Formats: sequence, C-alpha cells, structure tokens
Amino acid sequence: MKLLDTLRAGPPPPKIALLPDALFFTRALPVAAGATPAEATAQVELALEAISPFPLAQLYYGWFWTPGADRAFVFASYRRRFTSEQTAAWRGAEVVLPAFAAVMGAKVEPATTILLASPEGLTAVHWDEGPVPAKVLCHPLTPEATDEDRIRARDELIRAVGGSRIVRDLPTPLTADPALNDREIVIRSGDLVSRLPAATAAALDVRDKDDLHALRRAHRRDVILWRVVVGCAAAVALLGVLEIARLGGLEWQRVRLAKLKAQTPRVEMIQASNALAIRIDDLATKRLLPMEMLTTIMGVNSEILPPGMIFTRVLASTAGGLYTLNIEGQTNNAGQISLYQSALEKLPACEKVDLQPTGTRADLTTFRLTVTFKPDAVKPVSATST
Amino acid sequence: MIRTIRALFLGCQLREKLLVVVFLGIAVLLWLSGFSKRASAFWREQHRTTLDLADQAQWIANSGGIEAAAQKAASRLDAARTLDGVRLLEAMQKLAADAGLRPNIGQPSNPPGNGQFAIHTLEFTANLRDPDPAKNWEALTKFYRALQQRSPYIGIEQFTLRPDAANRAQIALQLRVSSVEITKSR
Repeated sequence: MKLLDTLRAGPPPPKIALLPDALFFTRALPVAAGATPAEATAQVELALEAISPFPLAQLYYGWFWTPGADRAFVFASYRRRFTSEQTAAWRGAEVVLPAFAAVMGAKVEPATTILLASPEGLTAVHWDEGPVPAKVLCHPLTPEATDEDRIRARDELIRAVGGSRIVRDLPTPLTADPALNDREIVIRSGDLVSRLPAATAAALDVRDKDDLHALRRAHRRDVILWRVVVGCAAAVALLGVLEIARLGGLEWQRVRLAKLKAQTPRVEMIQASNALAIRIDDLATKRLLPMEMLTTIMGVNSEILPPGMIFTRVLASTAGGLYTLNIEGQTNNAGQISLYQSALEKLPACEKVDLQPTGTRADLTTFRLTVTFKPDAVKPVSATST
Repeated sequence: MIRTIRALFLGCQLREKLLVVVFLGIAVLLWLSGFSKRASAFWREQHRTTLDLADQAQWIANSGGIEAAAQKAASRLDAARTLDGVRLLEAMQKLAADAGLRPNIGQPSNPPGNGQFAIHTLEFTANLRDPDPAKNWEALTKFYRALQQRSPYIGIEQFTLRPDAANRAQIALQLRVSSVEITKSR
C-alpha cells in the first residue's frame, strides 16, 4: 500500500539544499560578449580568483550566467564557514546553493527587486536590466527582531539597491516542483517561478567542483542502469505480448489440426483412387515382358549367350523398371564377360548394359548383369509372331 | 508513474540498483530462452501443418481429375472380363494346368478399393522338374504366352526365374500377378 501511495503521489521534488545568504559574498563580473559556456566559466573563475582573498580551492562558489549575457553574478564563501555536519547534510542533494541564487532563474521586469525573508535576515536580489541580477544585498536580523525591525530593514535594503520600480516580497518559502524531467529544476514561491536549466543549476551549485564532477559521473552511470532496467521491463512486456500471441497461435493451430484430421480420410481415399488409377492404367497400357527381354539377350536359340555362361537368377519387376532385366550368372571363362557385354551393347533394343563381375570361386566367375531396353523396342511374343 | 519509479530507483544504493539490473536481466534471458524454444517448436509445427493442409487442398482440388483418370483407365477394360481375387486364382490355376505346371498359388490379397475398382494380387510359384530341359522350357513358354494373352486383365508385376543349383535342367518360376476388378460401373 505504501508503495502504491508513493507511486500515486508522483515523482518527488529534487532535493535542494538552500544555504544562508549571509555566508556568501556576491559580485557581478563582466563576461566577454559572445563567450561560450566554457569561456564564461574560465573568465568567471579567473576573475573570482583575482578578487577573492582565498584561493578557489578554499571556497564554495557558484555563479549565474546565461548565454549571451554580458555579465555573470558570482557568489562565494570561505569553506571553513561551514561545519562538517552542514556539508554532510548536502549528501544526496541535487543542487546546493544560497537561497538568493534559487530565484535567479525567474523572469522579471527590468528594475525589479525580489525580497527573500529568512529567520537569519532579509535578502534583496536586484535586476537592473537583462536576465542576470546586478546586486544581492543581505540584512542580517536577530531572532528577537520585531516586525518594525523587519520593515525598517526592508526599507534600508530597497534604498541600498536603488532604482527599483518593482519590489516583490516572496510570500512563502522557496520549494522545488516535482522533477518531471532532467532538463531543468523549477523553484517556486507563490506566483514567482524560477526555472533553472540543468547547466545553469550545475554552475549555481557551490560544492567542490571535483566532487560535483564525480557526482555527475555517478548520476550518468545510474541513468544508464535505469535505462537497462527500462529496456528489461520493455523486453518483459514484449515477451508477455509474444507469449499471448503464441497462445493465440496455438489455438489457431488447434483448429487447423482439427481440419487436417477431418480431411485425412477423404484425402487418403483420393490418394488410394489415384494409386488405383495409376495401377489400372499401367495394367491396361504397360506390360512387363520378361521372357521377351530374356530371349533378346540370349537369342532365340541361345546364339548370343557364350557357351559355358549360365544365368542363375533372372528378375524383372514393374517396381524395378518396366524395361529393365536383372540377371545373376556365372561362367567358367572370365574373358567371355566383356565379349558378352560388347555383344549386348550392339543390340539395337538395348539402351544400357551394366555387367559387373561379383566374384571368383575356383574356375567360376560370377557376375551381375543389368540390361535396360529402349521403350517399345521389345515386343510381346504374340505380337512378333503375328 | 515512470518518473516516480525512476526517482525511487535512482534513490537506491548502487548495490541495490545492480541487484535489480542483474535479477531483471537474468529473468529476461531465461524467459527469452524458454520463449525462443517454444516459439521455434510452434513455428515448425505450424509450418508442417501449413504444408500438410496445402497438400491436402491440392489432392482435394485434383480429386475430380483423379476420378476421371481412373474412369478413363478403367474404360479401356471390359468390366465383364475383369477378375476378382477368386477368379484370378481360378484363372491362374487353369493356365498352369493347361501348360502342364503344378504350381503353388497363394491366396489373393484383398486390398481396399475405392468402391468402383479393386486390384487383386497373388503369388505364384511353379517348379519345372522334367529331366528334359527342353520340355521344361516348352512348358514355361506355353504358360507364359497364355498368361500374356490374358493381358491386360492379368498383369505380371514381378517375374523371377531360377535354375536349380544342383540340376540346371530344372527351373523354379516365381510370379506376382495382379488383376483389376471393376466392381461398379458408372
């Protein structure tokens, strides 16, 4: 049930760690026109290194810049201002940034100031023109500060930033929208919506840049694993569909087998009729003439058969060929075999003569003779005699 | 919902993610392997059935032609002169007796016909044992000519002639003959 409730609730918002504004010093820095994101990064880091009393390695820093803008807004804090407990709480966060940086993705009119209230004080983020803020000022307040103190601080901040035509006080604390995609993070307070594209959010993140790089690498690996899971799930779904299709196919096959079985007796009857028709036709039109074939290869008075050569078995069958005679024989003169073969080959009725010696025992040579006659070359005795 | 599951998955420990991937992958591979066997068996069976059905369809489509061919073949025969099994046996006995042979004749086979025609077959064996080979040959020739004159009502299917190994004058004749019986004419 808990899992179902979780699934029904939709995707959770990204975890965002908002840091106290007062811990950061801020500055708007010029960026060369037409700079690429990589060039802007290099320029910002170089300028930050120049203005900071500490090396970059000892700072938690980030910046806001949009492609085409002629300035970037940087913010940095000395690392030792954060305790290890504070930094440990950042683990698992999608992005870690000061609260004022969260509203920098908002679309605002020129000369607008947004005021963020927090228990530690008030922060004013001021845009003169363009998408990149010009100033961020903080006014710390003690926990005991009264409403009058806060109103006074607000007035001082508006005066200090100067040139504000629109002043917006955030009505509620900043919250992130559910993560519907990986392309941007949406932060909202009342009707103020700040959209931070993934690249911009990465630049705003103040964590150690090497750690961020490792985190992104791990995220890419996790996304690959997720895609494998999605692929496997798709394969499971596809296999499920294919199994259902196979079951449907089995049902279809069952119907076809029933049809096949039902037709079998009729088809067997037709096949039997066909076999009968062929045999009747053979009986009526084709005759096996074994004695005529035998007489042809021996001669009427055995004049072709060499003396001493005898046949031990004569076989003719319709299955072996209507015009084929198979003979086994023996002779006491092996030389006669080839002579007899030559004599048979000269007979006009013979198409093919195959005479093979099969063995020798004492002075007897056995052989196997297969004679194939030309169709209609051998006539029935009654026909030849008439 | 997919985004929610994705967020849940990405929020898991690495080892949990790896376990999910490995178990899911193994499950898919096992299912795929089993499915491929079942699918190929089904494919082979349905292919064989398709061929069998096509073959049956062809036979059924040609049934008219086959029947016509059988009728045409039978029309070459005089129905009154065709022989059933008993008449074939009697005819062979008479032919052998006329030629002076004393044969052994097997019982005619009784194959199923198609209701209109039937073919009967029997085995015939005769040993020609006269000491004079010329007489044996003469008897054999006489029997053979008489048998051929009954063609096409009696046909020779197999003919085997074998001289006796001990006495070449004696001959053993083995025949398988068949006859057509027209049981019903249209």
